[in-house]
Amino acid sequence: MPTLHLVALGLYGLAAALALAPFAGLPSLSRRWSVALPGAGALAHGMALAQLTPAGLAPILSLLALFLIVLQLCCELLLRATAVALFTAPLAAGLVGLALLLGLAPGVEAAAGSTVWSVLHVTLSVLAIALLALAFVSAALYLLQFRELKTKRFGQVFQLFPPLERLDRLNYGALAVAFPALTVGLLFGVGVRFAAGVDVAPAQLVWGSFTWVVLGWAVWARVVRGWAGRRAAFMSIAGFAAVVLVYLALKLVEPGRERFL
Amino acid sequence: MSIAVLGVNHRTAPLEVRERFAHAAHEVPPALERVLRAGAGGGVLLSTCNRTEFYLAQPGGTVAEAVWELLSERLGGGGAAQEYGYVQRDRDAVRHLYRVSAGLDSMILGESQIQGQVREAWQVSRVQAGPVLHRLFQSALLVGARVRGETGLGVGTASAPSAAVALAEKIFGALAGRSALILGAGDVAELAAGCLAAEGVQVALVASRTYERARVIAERLGGHAMTLEEAWDHFATADIVLCSTAAPHAVVTWERVAPAIRRRGGRPLCLLDLAVPRDVEPAVAQLENVFLYDIDDLQAVAAQATAQRRGEIPAAERIVSEEVDRFWGWYDGLGVVPVIRAFRDRLDDLRRAELERALRRLGHLSPEDRAQVDQFSQALLNKFLHEPTVVLKRAARVGHGYGLLEALKKLFGLETGAGR
Repeated sequence: MPTLHLVALGLYGLAAALALAPFAGLPSLSRRWSVALPGAGALAHGMALAQLTPAGLAPILSLLALFLIVLQLCCELLLRATAVALFTAPLAAGLVGLALLLGLAPGVEAAAGSTVWSVLHVTLSVLAIALLALAFVSAALYLLQFRELKTKRFGQVFQLFPPLERLDRLNYGALAVAFPALTVGLLFGVGVRFAAGVDVAPAQLVWGSFTWVVLGWAVWARVVRGWAGRRAAFMSIAGFAAVVLVYLALKLVEPGRERFL
Repeated sequence: MSIAVLGVNHRTAPLEVRERFAHAAHEVPPALERVLRAGAGGGVLLSTCNRTEFYLAQPGGTVAEAVWELLSERLGGGGAAQEYGYVQRDRDAVRHLYRVSAGLDSMILGESQIQGQVREAWQVSRVQAGPVLHRLFQSALLVGARVRGETGLGVGTASAPSAAVALAEKIFGALAGRSALILGAGDVAELAAGCLAAEGVQVALVASRTYERARVIAERLGGHAMTLEEAWDHFATADIVLCSTAAPHAVVTWERVAPAIRRRGGRPLCLLDLAVPRDVEPAVAQLENVFLYDIDDLQAVAAQATAQRRGEIPAAERIVSEEVDRFWGWYDGLGVVPVIRAFRDRLDDLRRAELERALRRLGHLSPEDRAQVDQFSQALLNKFLHEPTVVLKRAARVGHGYGLLEALKKLFGLETGAGR
């Protein structure tokens, strides 16, 4: 299990280095490598996770890393948005490294986490968080490219980052999929509470509700109010930052490596 | 001299001269016919806005005069075309075409349009090209593709109109279906609008102070014409605004366009100001989601790409040299076979004559013994010829056979009658 995680960590690290290379003045490798390296890493990672119960802090961080890499591959293959890897590859490598440091044993949530309700709840909720992270990444890329175009620098960011409208569409799509995924994920969480009879911690309730409200607000602003471009990018960054900060605050109140929250 | 190129290009002749030399496709066959009549085994005429070049196989003594005469006639006014011209021969001619096809000899380094023009020239001249030039042009297209595939010579946008397209693409992604408003109806506006239209942009409106001129261009690009005063409101809907009026001061001012731009709802607007002096007031760039680029910005994008491409020149030249060697090896090989055959025939004739004389003196020999002597003479000749034949073929393969063949012809008085 740790071996496959280590393989994934190595490949994600290489993918991150590959994404960052042009910004260090090194030549960029072919697109084939930016698919092959994270793809091979995701394969090893998926095999490792298939042997784990998705419960406890380390397995959930690992699952989040896997979703980030899968979304990165989707962006590369569907939108040719190679620059997404600038954020997602180091983030995924960091999350896998953290999961390995914490220890990948499922911990106290393992028994409850083995039910179908729980697996669906965790998978969909983590997918929604990964999509929210992708919305953040696309927003950050948007703002960087926006600045490059406004200030007429025409440097590496101009050359390597995708066009503004494509990044805006990616942001919209990520938020639009994240919201229903989280909604269904939380409904499965209710199923865990009533069908499996597992108590829900107050911190889980608070964070789940907060994230749902933030995502709902972001989707409402984009779909109903028609926010786009820079305003939508700032909103995505603020929303993601708020979700992460609230999680860290709750984790500080109730520390421990066994439980996700 | 067996392959030659004679012509003019953007380095040797100014535009007003080059445009006189340019041949339309229907003019190429008669021009080539005239040149080939002066004595050449084949010809291809490559004529673009930047070059007019005659590629000739086995050109005879008066062909060069025929080419310069033909071009001088087009120049008119008693001018001599060779003042602007150049001649390259053999390997240099092959290298020249390969460099042209790869975009190494282009005004905009690495531009890809020339590849299509080389293909078109070959196709138009197909009947008159002959086997050597067929092979040469075929390989030139492969060299062009190889250089673009294996180096970064074609990467980026190295001209101002293509830089304008690249900037718009960095904002909108694919430009197909986007709408453009053109301010000004001069040649520059028309050219740049044509570039955008080639990317699928819908040129919806053309505005100019002279309505009639705007109407002509709008009709050509499939849009509507209007006066400048009517155009400001359309800043609310157009994705790209291209400005190239001849106005002596800025016509696109904050006051005129800000109200319309505020109605865009955050959609980006790409403003391309190609005019000198500028048409757009710099303050307009301060408006939210407005991206304003003037001619200096476009040239900066183009220069950046050109600088990147320059770094690829050594790699591209290496490929060209490799391919010149390969072609010349093939080409030299064409001349080896008839010379070797003539050489062998000449020595075999000598052998037969000497054998006959010797056998006449050796009348007492039995038929078996005579056959033995004949066999011996043949074996001896084969032994003598083996090494020179191998050396000649090997030299031809690496492109060094020409000198050896000439020496052999002179030493043995060979008349192969086989030109390449």
